[in-house]
Amino acid sequence: MKLNEIARRLELENITPELATEESVDVAAGHASDLLSDVLANAPKGGVLVTIQVHLNVIAVSVHAGVAAVIFASARVPEESVRTRAVEEGIQLYTSKQSTFDVVGQLYTLGLRGSHGLRGSHE
Amino acid sequence: MKRFLADLHIHTVLSPCASDDMTPPAIVRAAIDKGLAMIAICDHNSSGNVTAVTEAAGNDIAVIAGMEIATAEEVHVVGLFSNVEAASAVSEKVRQSLPRLKDVSRASDRQQFVDAQGRVLGAETRMLAAASRFGLGDAVRMIKGHDGIAVAAHVDRPSFSVLSQLGMFPEAAGFDAIEASATAALSRLAEFASLGLPIIASSDAHSPSDVGTRWTAFEMLDGSFGELVLALRGAMGRRCCRA
Repeated sequence: MKLNEIARRLELENITPELATEESVDVAAGHASDLLSDVLANAPKGGVLVTIQVHLNVIAVSVHAGVAAVIFASARVPEESVRTRAVEEGIQLYTSKQSTFDVVGQLYTLGLRGSHGLRGSHE
Repeated sequence: MKRFLADLHIHTVLSPCASDDMTPPAIVRAAIDKGLAMIAICDHNSSGNVTAVTEAAGNDIAVIAGMEIATAEEVHVVGLFSNVEAASAVSEKVRQSLPRLKDVSRASDRQQFVDAQGRVLGAETRMLAAASRFGLGDAVRMIKGHDGIAVAAHVDRPSFSVLSQLGMFPEAAGFDAIEASATAALSRLAEFASLGLPIIASSDAHSPSDVGTRWTAFEMLDGSFGELVLALRGAMGRRCCRA
């Protein structure tokens, strides 16, 4: 599903509007974690990350893991330096007032799967 | 130059996860038994028992005022200070950002302020095990703003370390040193050598038998904070040598 469609359905706020990628990026997978070591190891490439972690390293780790977009849950808003870095790296950022649990539940309903679910579908 | 064996990360009964026998006399006795000449008292989010341990140590060993701040990212940062006043100033700011304990009588939540003999003076009513509201950058800046040194705690551990929480070492954070835990494998430490920061080893003791299980040797003139800073920088003939 396209990022802009996900954003519309989940009522996410796009905080990197200068990126024109929202309508072109398709995501089918995701990961939810606040431990960036876990994101690095387990986030599916090209997926969306749901987290309440707002440190700058969210972007650095997302670049390494190939994360396409980050949804900051529970109304967490990163500092401007984090946003700027994300724009430079081409990673779309969103915020949601809802908790990680609720955001992930809706993403799952829309058909997105975690890395384990993706592996399972190939078997 | 003199050689000082130092264990720069020791908890007291103020830390909810430390054992009940981590009293000032017990800590000092254990440190002397292990041949340490310097210790740093670093309770979770508080420097409240530093004075008591300093008194208990008398002239036997040097005690550095410290605390282990849990940042908003749940990264543990050890702050070491030149005196207890500087540590207390930071400790108070951190304290204000901690949630209140709902039930201070629960045994697992006991956070005791004690005197030099280990007698209980009172209990901390904020939740010292919680994360403060200070992000990593702010915590390091706050430590340095009080002329302290900021150490990335137990970097090799799978929880509450910069790597577990943030995935990669945040070089821009401004750490002065990296701490290896008591169980760190030497192979893991090689990963951190490239950062160009001094690597120290500390026990992170939560019970008397842990004290001095890992230490760092410092070659310096005396057991003062100023000498410790020089030794960490490898300046003016002082140096540190990880155990």
